[in-house]
Amino acid sequence: MSPLRRFLRMPEALAGTAILAVLFAMALAAPLIFPGDPQAIAGPALLPPFQDWSLPLGTDRLGRDVLAELFHGARTSLAVGLAAAAAALAVGAIVGTLAGFAGGLVDDVLMRITDAFQTVPSFLLALAFVSAVGPSLGVVVVAIALGAWTGPARVARAEVLSIRERDFVAGARVIGMHPLEIAFREILPNALPPVLALSSVIVAAAILTEAALSFLGLGDPNRVTWGGMIAEGRAVLRTAPFLSIIPGVALVLTVLGVYLAGEGVIETTAVRRSLS
Amino acid sequence: MSDFTISRRTMLAGSAMLLASTAMPGIGWAQTPRRGGRLVVAADSEPRNLNPAIVASNGVFFISSKIVETLAEASFDGKDGLAPRLALSWEGTADGLSATFKLREGVKWHDGKPFTSADVAFSALQIWKPLQNLGRTVFKDLDAVETPDDLTAVFKFAKPTPFQLIRNALPALSSVVPKHIYETGKIEDNPANNAPVGTGPFKFGEYKAGQYYRLQKNTDYWGKDEPYLDEIIYQVLPDRTSAASALEAEEIHLAAFSAVPLADLDRISKVPGLKVITKGYEGLTYQLVVEINHRRKELADLKVRQAIAHAIDKDFVVKTIFLGYAATATGPVPKNDPQFYTADVPTYAFDVAKANALLDEAGYIRGDDGKRFSLKLLPAPYFNETRQFGDYLRQALAAIGIDAELVNNDSPAHIKAVYTDHAFDLAVGPPVFRGDPAISTTILVQSGIPDGVPFSNQGGYKNADLDALIARASETLDTSARTELYKEFQKQVAADLPLINVAEWSFISVARETVENIANNPRWAVSNWADTYLAN
Repeated sequence: MSPLRRFLRMPEALAGTAILAVLFAMALAAPLIFPGDPQAIAGPALLPPFQDWSLPLGTDRLGRDVLAELFHGARTSLAVGLAAAAAALAVGAIVGTLAGFAGGLVDDVLMRITDAFQTVPSFLLALAFVSAVGPSLGVVVVAIALGAWTGPARVARAEVLSIRERDFVAGARVIGMHPLEIAFREILPNALPPVLALSSVIVAAAILTEAALSFLGLGDPNRVTWGGMIAEGRAVLRTAPFLSIIPGVALVLTVLGVYLAGEGVIETTAVRRSLS
Repeated sequence: MSDFTISRRTMLAGSAMLLASTAMPGIGWAQTPRRGGRLVVAADSEPRNLNPAIVASNGVFFISSKIVETLAEASFDGKDGLAPRLALSWEGTADGLSATFKLREGVKWHDGKPFTSADVAFSALQIWKPLQNLGRTVFKDLDAVETPDDLTAVFKFAKPTPFQLIRNALPALSSVVPKHIYETGKIEDNPANNAPVGTGPFKFGEYKAGQYYRLQKNTDYWGKDEPYLDEIIYQVLPDRTSAASALEAEEIHLAAFSAVPLADLDRISKVPGLKVITKGYEGLTYQLVVEINHRRKELADLKVRQAIAHAIDKDFVVKTIFLGYAATATGPVPKNDPQFYTADVPTYAFDVAKANALLDEAGYIRGDDGKRFSLKLLPAPYFNETRQFGDYLRQALAAIGIDAELVNNDSPAHIKAVYTDHAFDLAVGPPVFRGDPAISTTILVQSGIPDGVPFSNQGGYKNADLDALIARASETLDTSARTELYKEFQKQVAADLPLINVAEWSFISVARETVENIANNPRWAVSNWADTYLAN
């Protein structure tokens, strides 16, 4: 049975993929369906959902279209989640490979740095970084990656430690390849699968962290974010609960989708590896 | 005593109250104030320094005005809008060089020592003039305070100082603290700053960080039979949404300073047992202002400033952001001020086409992307409404081709960015009008203010005519001539737009119906609450 068919047989993986597909579609279609600024004032303030079909999900306290904000918010959430996870994975894989392959002093230094980052709660680190540098999309990505790269680094190092003793590595040494070339061209690609398995968790965590930062007012104020929408809705929670509930549900579904799809991928690849 | 104990008696009293309220609904009570009881109030901030003579701000007054009293308090019906407190009468000489205060007899400090004119002299010369945020300007020419007897204080000024200004400054700036406690050591480090000693109807009880402040009845208070309450508890509820639920759950009696979000008022006004009160803040008007950095060449152009003024829909701001609990502004003096306000100023109707035409005229033509130029916009973080107005202003500017980038900061960072580093193009600020333009309003437009003074002109605006007008008004002794000068001041500010006044708002209180005698003066939330009581 091919991995793809095995993947398709898992209902939770399918559900996750479906959610993610919808999400990506939303993010890609946002500028087409809602051209112009999603923060523009589109109608009367605090219009409840399903009242006016030109504003199907209603409007917020300033009269901005909640549906348009939701679509554009999906872009921010996904962009930040994917970018932060990519940065964390890249940094983690490089640090882990270097540490594992070089060993000795380099390994010690790099791993102690990793320890240092791991002892600080990653959300606090992100909070401190954003409030010091000032909120903007790039800063938020870096802030989240700052707390997320240690996991991949440790996994990569562990993998590299076992791979570097294999015969093909010894072979590469014998033919006189440069150590860095061996590390990154021979070892890293083989160490990567378990590191990538972490990606779904990291993406999910990154999306949540971004939402939490925006909720606390540390997101980029010039972009729509779901966390920011929830925070704004909180002031009118009793009179217009939909303003917090709609982006909240979107956030839950996104994280769930990323996680389920990621689990599905891991399951299928894990079975394949154990079979081989 | 760190926790509140519930005695049998208070339980009985409480259940009796409950019985009475169910048995006799809707019967008007003969207003004989009931004595006793504990008033629980929501507090949203925890000021470290509680000395109102040093920090004259509403956050401090909210708690310490019950402990430390001023010479006079604002009043709805008193002469010149004042009611006597520690001073019984006040009078200025025609040359503006001296002002005489007759003080109340038989007043005692909370530690039992008698209150005398020496305390007033000490507070004025050692604290209000050199240390107080607002007193520094108002009392800058105060030379000496003579004390011919224990109950007379004569303020001597080096330069003529309008008595109208001194009078208008009394409610906020004249907190008297005890000389015998403050005369030793450094005033800023005195422990009484955190546990104030005063003459007021309540004594400082205790403070538990993050939990509550407790004030207890001063049994030696000079007011006959006052105060009625035994205790006031300020329950710290930093989360704005929790004040409404605490009121509904009958955990607190009162949430002042709009602790209940405006959007919740409609709902909460229908909750039985609660009342929404819009009175009692007339003397505490906040102004929603767009601060402008005139160092930006585009913003130094009057046409651009006029265009921005025309682009702002003030009615939308009042209706949507303040939900009607505000008024549109015409200039730097709020409409509800009885002495100085004039409507006879240039106004800027909401007119996007005109704004666009003005910008075209000024030479800032839209680029291919529809944008003329970009700005940095810093909304002050103190109120939900200032932030929301920032969001709105960004949209309003987009409609006239100005691309505004929002920058959100926390309070210290905002103050540093705007008032010290001048790292802004437009900022949204909430200055307070304090009954006289010379106290905290002229400073917003006058030039020559050193960097780093918060809530002052840090936008680099310089207008020699306006500066001369402000200087002349500050020396004019005749009340009506002085008032006329401030009317001229409003005209010039509205014409030249050193800043743009958008709206004026005050706060809303929500209280249980049993709380009586609230909102009975224009600064009620920050007055002494001696006559406040809990009805049966």
